[in-house]
Amino acid sequence: MIEPSRELRDVCAIVGTGNSRLGRVPGVSSLDLLVEAMHNAITDAGVKVADIDGIICRGPDESYAHHQQIGARLGINARFSTTLDNGGASQILGVALATMAIKAGMASTVIVGFGRDSWSRTHSSKEANLRNETRPDSQLAQEFGPEYGYFGAVAAHAFGATRHMHLYGTTRDQFGAIAVAFREHALRNPDAQMKKPLSMAQYREAPPVVAPFGLLDCSLRSDAAGAVIVTSRERARDLRQPPVSIKGFGSFNNLRGWFADDNMVTTAAKKSGAAAYRMAGIGPDDVDTAQIYDCFTYMVLTQLEDYGFCKKGEGGPFVASGALRMGGRLPTNTSGGQLSESHCEGMLQLVEGARQMRHTYPADRQVKDAEIALISGHGGNQVCHSTLILGRA
Amino acid sequence: MSEAATTDTKKKPVPRPAPESAPFWDAARKHHLEIQRCKACGQFWFPPSQSCPHCLAADFAWTPVAGTGKVFSFVTYHRVYHPGFAKDVPYVVALVELDEGPRLLTNIVGVPPDKVACDMPVKVVFDDFEDGVSVPKFTPLDAPAKG
Repeated sequence: MIEPSRELRDVCAIVGTGNSRLGRVPGVSSLDLLVEAMHNAITDAGVKVADIDGIICRGPDESYAHHQQIGARLGINARFSTTLDNGGASQILGVALATMAIKAGMASTVIVGFGRDSWSRTHSSKEANLRNETRPDSQLAQEFGPEYGYFGAVAAHAFGATRHMHLYGTTRDQFGAIAVAFREHALRNPDAQMKKPLSMAQYREAPPVVAPFGLLDCSLRSDAAGAVIVTSRERARDLRQPPVSIKGFGSFNNLRGWFADDNMVTTAAKKSGAAAYRMAGIGPDDVDTAQIYDCFTYMVLTQLEDYGFCKKGEGGPFVASGALRMGGRLPTNTSGGQLSESHCEGMLQLVEGARQMRHTYPADRQVKDAEIALISGHGGNQVCHSTLILGRA
Repeated sequence: MSEAATTDTKKKPVPRPAPESAPFWDAARKHHLEIQRCKACGQFWFPPSQSCPHCLAADFAWTPVAGTGKVFSFVTYHRVYHPGFAKDVPYVVALVELDEGPRLLTNIVGVPPDKVACDMPVKVVFDDFEDGVSVPKFTPLDAPAKG
């Protein structure tokens, strides 16, 4: 087995975090939302824009050469600059790549970010919504999908939920426990898109979309962006914020496909997480808070199993026990997650994980005495995964 | 022109085959289910491609399969994502694992959605679209033959 490099453990830090306005931000492009988040991260870190010599980012799927457009808007050149293509797994991969670039001497201060304008593009009108769901012809699978009425990410992930329910007796109410817990967290986050409490009864009564998923199993449509700044631990000492150490990262990609093997039930999180744990020199029992990619409720449940917080098949009872709530065994998605804060393809989970490690939140939002945060990224065609482990510096 | 089929948004999308999958649809038109089988290692594969994903050999034959398998997993659409399916909801999209191994995305028909289950045995039936295209779908193995 290839052993992840321990030389990368604790050599870099996240020194700045930022998010844009979240939710419904009409009239602002995804590029400008991302620049807004980046400006906030730069201000937060107390660095000058000219000090940034690396950009790693990603925009909406249809954007081309995204990092070049971001560099132009920030008004900087960069020693290291690129756009990633692993869907929701890209954002953590960006932090991993930033760490590698800094260690390799290719850059000293790297900004990593992602932005999208999904609410404006899809929910601002009925036509926009339909256009998004069915995708332009050029992006549609031409066969083995549309002729069967197979469209959208909801159904793709619902396949995994059905199989998990069949194998392990997982229930809809267990999925609901995840949605309810994350909504509780969102209510303490003034930036969160969802402002009203959610009860289990409301979860059960929500209209079905693609069963077994109903509306409240699905993440939000959001205009949202987030950014973090990565630099060496050495430089971090001179900066404004308590530095957050990058202890480990990993990735795995089940490229044989979501429908192949057992991938929809045991996801790429398992091997990605194992690699990150080895680099960080820790295990699941050491993790104090998790920020898990929650495009759909089920994906949280199965990843918690894959990361070893409980055994495969026991995710249902684990989440139903209240483990994910503040004060529980593993407070998870403590800003509300993509189900209730805003959907930014994992970028806001990364921001929240770093903020939890600073211990600067008010008491009701802070995971008490948290020393280690685990963050997951999931995406592409459900098969790309990345893991980041952060710690108090 | 086949373009006409796709510009009428009320109709279901018609498969537009990639070059490597044209034989699959040619067989389906005759109500035969045929899958590529590797002449080197003997294994079947799907979706179509010009070399075997098991051993990378490029020597294969389109081979009839039994047309039976079981439901690996499935979902039930309640929401209309495409106007062509407005009259079909709720409908079941399933991943069927053929007895020969490959998994096919398909619909389960001839049974109410709440009677579909993982691991349920199924057999192929063909749905004749307009435009001379036939689409393989699956129905419970114990269902009576479709008239």
